[in-house]
Amino acid sequence: MSDPSPTGADPAPPAPPAPIQGATDLPKDAAHRLEELEHGLFTSDLSVNEFLLVKEAGFHPLGFVMGSSIYHIGIQTRKWGQSQELSKLTEAMYTARELAMNRMEEEAEELGADGVVGVRLDVNYYEWGNDSAEFIAFGTSVKAEDGTSYRNALGKPFTSDLSGQDFWTLMQTGHVPQGLVMGTCVFHIAHRKLTQALGSMGQNTELPNFTQALYEARELAMTRMQDEAGQLNASGIVGVRLEEKSHQWGSHTIEFLALGTAVTKGSGEVTLPKPTTIISLDN
Amino acid sequence: MTGPDTGGPPPDAAPGLAGGPHGDLPEAAVRRLESSAFSSGLTVPDFAACLDLGLEPVALVQGFCVMQWGWYGSGSGYMRGMSPFAAASQNAGAYSETYQCPHGFVGADHRMWGQNLEQSWVEAAWAQGYGSSYGRMVEEAEQHGAHGIIGVVDRVSNVADTGTTEFHFLGTAVTVKGGPPPAGGVPWSTFLAGQRLTKSIEAGFMPVAVVASMASVRVWAYCMTEYLMEGNYNWAPPRPVPVDQVSRAHMAVRQLARKHVRQMLAGDELHGAMIDIAHRELSQGDEVIDCTLRGNRMRRFKDYDEVALPRPTVRLA
Repeated sequence: MSDPSPTGADPAPPAPPAPIQGATDLPKDAAHRLEELEHGLFTSDLSVNEFLLVKEAGFHPLGFVMGSSIYHIGIQTRKWGQSQELSKLTEAMYTARELAMNRMEEEAEELGADGVVGVRLDVNYYEWGNDSAEFIAFGTSVKAEDGTSYRNALGKPFTSDLSGQDFWTLMQTGHVPQGLVMGTCVFHIAHRKLTQALGSMGQNTELPNFTQALYEARELAMTRMQDEAGQLNASGIVGVRLEEKSHQWGSHTIEFLALGTAVTKGSGEVTLPKPTTIISLDN
Repeated sequence: MTGPDTGGPPPDAAPGLAGGPHGDLPEAAVRRLESSAFSSGLTVPDFAACLDLGLEPVALVQGFCVMQWGWYGSGSGYMRGMSPFAAASQNAGAYSETYQCPHGFVGADHRMWGQNLEQSWVEAAWAQGYGSSYGRMVEEAEQHGAHGIIGVVDRVSNVADTGTTEFHFLGTAVTVKGGPPPAGGVPWSTFLAGQRLTKSIEAGFMPVAVVASMASVRVWAYCMTEYLMEGNYNWAPPRPVPVDQVSRAHMAVRQLARKHVRQMLAGDELHGAMIDIAHRELSQGDEVIDCTLRGNRMRRFKDYDEVALPRPTVRLA
């Protein structure tokens, strides 16, 4: 598979979204809610165990933060018999998530947070908008109790989809989260022509064009995710997930989404606690 | 932990995919692997255990193979009415059992013969798809100079409605701090990660490769099997009646899968075996039974470490 980009895919990541305006971009009710949180009350979607471990890691929750974007997803023509990246759709899916993420970060910024943990990214479709989707990002903003700044290389609060338990474990390894990074690629998988199907009838054989197309699509998503990590000067990405969804485009158009938490290694040697075997005395 | 000889499914590059300075890999894969940041599909606890073990993740590696997954030759499920015995020439040495009708000629629709038949051509196609995608994942790991691949995940799924099947491998390539290159330059691989891998090594076993095999048996029902499977055996006494032909097919398909995997072990041990059965009814008691057996080929390299006594614990949750 040494042919360069035979599917016509553009290796460059989609254009970054238009810059989000400042805090004035937040709805009035959001600003009011955040103002209340600044007086000491906090909200959080952390479970009790997560809350305990986030505190144990030296952070305290500031508030539940979220961002959302309802995005009109355009139409892109696809060639029936050709596998290709649908760059307009890729851009739409990327930009919409980025907008939601940026708004969530803005809320965290308002609270003076160092980061956001337990971030979840959802896409919802509503009956009132066939070509529209709502992209939502939410999580719990946290701040270091000892006053150390954990902001990332871009000076923003870090984001991470790690649970409270995973966040604590990661900090024990001497790594610090930098940001939730993602890469996406919407890909159209060619239909097989009748002649192609007949040509290989009766054989068990690899279909190199299909292999290559799917390979390319996943690699593009992962490359874009790694590019985002590069912008954060991360040393690595943990917990990478590769999700595949057809959304509402039919089975031949698939979005490949790569997601993970970019991390950097802190200074100094870390000794991990040795796990011990236990015998449960519970019934 | 240095890598021993490779023992996984045989990498089998498809025609037209090989070549180039980076072998079989697409250009996007090469570009990604040249990135300086590591990526890892490990969970955070597995990542922590990996670091504690002296392993450094270098990249999330993957391999794919899309196969046309149909077999229309004699003996296949699509050729009803054709004698399965016709497949004997392409199936030499394979498992086969025949069943004789106890009634004699009753009518034209009465099925006087029956056979359980191993579909070796199906097994070969599966091995090609599985082996090719595994080989590509290992190739990506080699590009990174990895010693091994941990937390391997494999998946077999259909691609859209194209009638094709995709074999998909993912894993996290790792290097051993200060370790010499793997034997033969081929990284070892394992489905294990985190504490399961740590405990295996503490117990004195090192991973060699993931191994997997698929066995497929076609059941051509004879009259008794057909009646029993369709619930038409009304004259039977009111007690459970074993369906011998199907029972033996189920036993045979598992034994075949185990036999195939044993051949790959070459004296090593299989740990964490996972067995999956796919059962496809055709009609009139006919069916196809597929058995996939996967596991970790492990090699003993030292005696057990002493295990600390467990600490009595009460959960407050």
